Amino acid sequence: MSTQPQNTMTVEQALGQAHAHWNAGQADQAERLCQHVLALWPGQSDALHLMGLMAHAYGNLDLAIDHLRRACQAPRVPAVYLSNLGEMLRQRGLLAEAEVAARRAVTMDNTLVAGWNNLGIILQEAGKLDDSLSCLERVVALQPNYAEAHNNLGNTLKRMGRLDQARQRYEYALNLAPAYAEAQSNLANLLNDLGRPDEALAAARKAIDLNPRLSDAYINAAAVELGRNRNEEALRWIDALLSYAPLHAGALTVRATALRHLERLEEALGDARRAVSIQAENGEAQNVLGEVLQAVGLHEEALAAFDKASKTLGFAPEKALINRGVVLMERGDKGEAKVAFEQVLAQYPRSASAWFNLSDLHRFQAGDPAVTRMESLLYGPDPLQSQTDRTALNFALGKAWMDIGDADRAFGYLNEGNRQKRATFSYDSAATERWMADIAAAFPAGIFGKAKATLAGSDQAVFVLGMPRSGTTLIEQILASHPQVAAAGELSTFNALVNQLGPYPQTAPHLTPEICGGLGQRYLDFVRPLAGSRRKVVDKMPSNFLFAGLINLALPDARIIHVRRDPVDTCLSCYTKLFTREQLFTYDLAELGQFYRAYERLMDHWRAVLPADRFIEVQYEDVVDDLEGQARRLIEFCGLAWDPACLDFHKTQRTIRTASLNQVRQPIFRSSVGRWRPFAAQLTPLLAALGIDPNAPDAPAPTVAEPAKKPAARKATPKAAVKAAAPEPAAESVEAAKPAGRRRKPAAT
Amino acid sequence: MDMKELEQQVRPMLIAGRGVEVEAMIRPLLASGTGPVTLWALLAQALRVQGRVLEAKPIQEMLVEALPGHLSTRFDLAETLLLLGEFDRGWREYAYRYSLAHTTRIERKVQRPRWDGRPIPGKTLLIHDEQGYGDTFQFMRMVAWAKEKSQANVILEINHETASLARRMKGFDALTLRGELPPYFDVHAEMMSLPMIMGLQLSQLPGEPMPYLSALPDRREHWRKRLAPYKGLKVAFLWAGRPTHFNDANRSMELEMLAPLAQDGITLFSVQKGPKEEQALNPPAAMAKHVVSLSPEIRDFEDTAAILTEVDLLVSIDSSPVHLAGALGRPAWVMLPLLPDWRWLQNRDDTPWYPSVRLFRQTEWGQWGPVIGRVAQALAELKAKKV
Repeated sequence: MSTQPQNTMTVEQALGQAHAHWNAGQADQAERLCQHVLALWPGQSDALHLMGLMAHAYGNLDLAIDHLRRACQAPRVPAVYLSNLGEMLRQRGLLAEAEVAARRAVTMDNTLVAGWNNLGIILQEAGKLDDSLSCLERVVALQPNYAEAHNNLGNTLKRMGRLDQARQRYEYALNLAPAYAEAQSNLANLLNDLGRPDEALAAARKAIDLNPRLSDAYINAAAVELGRNRNEEALRWIDALLSYAPLHAGALTVRATALRHLERLEEALGDARRAVSIQAENGEAQNVLGEVLQAVGLHEEALAAFDKASKTLGFAPEKALINRGVVLMERGDKGEAKVAFEQVLAQYPRSASAWFNLSDLHRFQAGDPAVTRMESLLYGPDPLQSQTDRTALNFALGKAWMDIGDADRAFGYLNEGNRQKRATFSYDSAATERWMADIAAAFPAGIFGKAKATLAGSDQAVFVLGMPRSGTTLIEQILASHPQVAAAGELSTFNALVNQLGPYPQTAPHLTPEICGGLGQRYLDFVRPLAGSRRKVVDKMPSNFLFAGLINLALPDARIIHVRRDPVDTCLSCYTKLFTREQLFTYDLAELGQFYRAYERLMDHWRAVLPADRFIEVQYEDVVDDLEGQARRLIEFCGLAWDPACLDFHKTQRTIRTASLNQVRQPIFRSSVGRWRPFAAQLTPLLAALGIDPNAPDAPAPTVAEPAKKPAARKATPKAAVKAAAPEPAAESVEAAKPAGRRRKPAAT
Repeated sequence: MDMKELEQQVRPMLIAGRGVEVEAMIRPLLASGTGPVTLWALLAQALRVQGRVLEAKPIQEMLVEALPGHLSTRFDLAETLLLLGEFDRGWREYAYRYSLAHTTRIERKVQRPRWDGRPIPGKTLLIHDEQGYGDTFQFMRMVAWAKEKSQANVILEINHETASLARRMKGFDALTLRGELPPYFDVHAEMMSLPMIMGLQLSQLPGEPMPYLSALPDRREHWRKRLAPYKGLKVAFLWAGRPTHFNDANRSMELEMLAPLAQDGITLFSVQKGPKEEQALNPPAAMAKHVVSLSPEIRDFEDTAAILTEVDLLVSIDSSPVHLAGALGRPAWVMLPLLPDWRWLQNRDDTPWYPSVRLFRQTEWGQWGPVIGRVAQALAELKAKKV
């Protein structure tokens, strides 16, 4: 028996046997021999090193580091011990000490492959990407079949934005080691960045199949679904991860983002706070906490979280710095926001999100160097490769060239940006048209004459609705400047409550006054706290136009304000915006025109059936021409006394969180009227879909409809249930959560 | 509904085999087709304890699909798949046997790679056995197959108790005892990972050679003499397994329950080991003149192997001597609970693992009476044939 060290055994023999036992998975015997050696020779380096490796294998990282630190104090310490210490320190997040150890290792032995590999990933994590790259390139030169090193090289290249090269490395690693789950997971993350969500998801599934406890793979799968706004799917991946790792900070972070997208803000905040409390130094968690705080309106706290995130080691602070700029922008600190984005660009000249956000705040002029810089990021010698980055830059450049007045160039970029965005989801324009016709048919004039829900206090609710980019934000700001009016922003509440009743509009025939009353009551319960002490609360979710009839049935005294704007101007404005949340119909000119006409037919119907004292329409162009006249008309319609504050709407101190947030701060916006005419040539597919002749002396700008009854323009025929995605208006301005899945193989030998 | 409360109420019912009641409680809660994971898992188990394993399978597959990282769910699925004879995925999911709450600590952290099934001539492969003796007897046959497929130098590491029998088996180059320092090796494989690594198919069973174990001639001589005075049909028997086995309550019984086996013209030799072996020294009066306890004289598995070779038949609950008998090619009748261990498959009274073994299955949860009745009947028939 060899398990009991005999007195005759030399230290070398005992250590040799200890190593052999450990190789064979016989930890007890190995430990006993190490302890025996250490009793004879306290501080013996090899015994401490082996004890450290065993502690590491059993998950006791701190203990392992303690053993290795002591092992590395020996005067003749082998280079590989230092290299292993470096890797363990990296795992513990002690990057500075890790780098010192790993550098000592490769200085002692510059052929030590594991040492260069470990140094390479330490440098990668510390953001020293050029150094990391040269370390890891040396590793694969020394050992070309080292799959883990190729994977690590892929991670460094990815962080450098060299996505094509990163992909080659991951694929090479997988070629060497087909069952390499981490490389599969990293490939998933990369494919998602390259705008290939289906392939990305397949790779993540494969990674999970290879290693069902590879948490990064779940997070990457969830990120794919977050990226295409399938938040429920993202939640399923996260719940699968949390089922075995309930305190996984990364998982809670992603769940917080999905919940935020779903407007489940309280739950989102709970998850984000828990993630931060589990891992205070987790920059991604801090950043997401900031995003949730921002969404619930706690801006000071949000800024503090973004500041923390941007200072966290190992986390690319770019996203947090951009989010900080967005908060400043939402607060109306345009100048500060602009400075913030410029600072990001000084640090990260290739940050597409910084350029994208800055372009909204900047008026471009011919010869603007910013345009050249953005164009070189798309088409220069070292172009950006992330698909979302490229899309955002196309929109920014479209905006820039529109400012400058070069329609051809502007639309060159806009068409490309829209095409890229449109390629990321499926959308059935005809089904959406049928759906809107079905809605009109489901709410015929007859049902509005019958008994309605009796609901006390429903006059508190004011809905501002219409097409996105039609001026709903402007109208809301004018109303909210009145001391008796609170602005709730764009609420998905009514939509959510309607969906709880069943598929819409098939539920319409079953809506008793009781059901409608319950719906109205739940809506009021939700918005009342937002109103505070004010008499009115404005919900400016544009897509509530789908529910105008039902709003009247559920909340008989609620006021509904339909905002209209020249159809081409509206659609042009939609087309120039990259919405952060899905507006599925705005990325193709023909689909945009078709949607607009379907919307218009539905509004014709509402106009015909809704009572004039509850439904009013306002033309954006009329507001521009006669602010006071229109403002007085709206205030009166809401049943309030006139207040001159409404004319100073641009001074209102309230955070605005929609795509138009940089416009309503300007006192008036005449440049938005008739904006489309110089672009008529580029808008041909839209004009065709809208049925507008650009050469007609006066294209049929719709007149403000009289609130008097008139028959609906077209009779919609009831159709079988068509499930179409309800258009979701823009709600926020920046999308930053995208967990980076990185996983390295420690080279502890 | 409070899921924790429900689970606390239902778990003991499932352990008691009250699957019908549990199913009736849970089905309505899942009527919509969706529901919490816990409920689905309880339903799957309720079906399993009724023996409706085929119906449990799609539920378990769905659970694994939804929660791939919940590894005990995967192990549960492995048991179902193997029970249904679906070896491919079954063996793959069986790889999670060391990922359960009570097994993670016993997983052996071998620092060399696991053999991937490819030929590795010139390399050394360490095959090490795992927990139960029965498992070791059953899967020992694959050592020679692994040697052939890997073309490696094979070291077999095995527990002390079965090593002596293993030594006389072919198919390895060196044998080392559990706990001892094995010679140098390049790759390793747990014995029960061999089916996954080598893609074992049902159709390959029992495989060659069969039998693959043999008793020692001098031990056989000893036991032949010891049994000689007893006339008629010689039947070795045991009625209880290792009490610490997770499923022992379902597989084990009490000695007196086997009274119907005490028939004239038959001698029942107790080969029971462990806490229950005392029972055979003082058998119930009705059995007394038919029962002879060999238990105190059995020193090791070599004795058991020799006895099994010298008697006409082993009658046993699901325990390691059954596997020893099967590996020796000796007749054995096994009494199985309604939901047996995965290795016994379903709806058949033979087993592809051992041509000499016959199965007697419960048809109702916990009801041994009818099983023992059928064994008694078969014994009477066998006795008649022998005479």
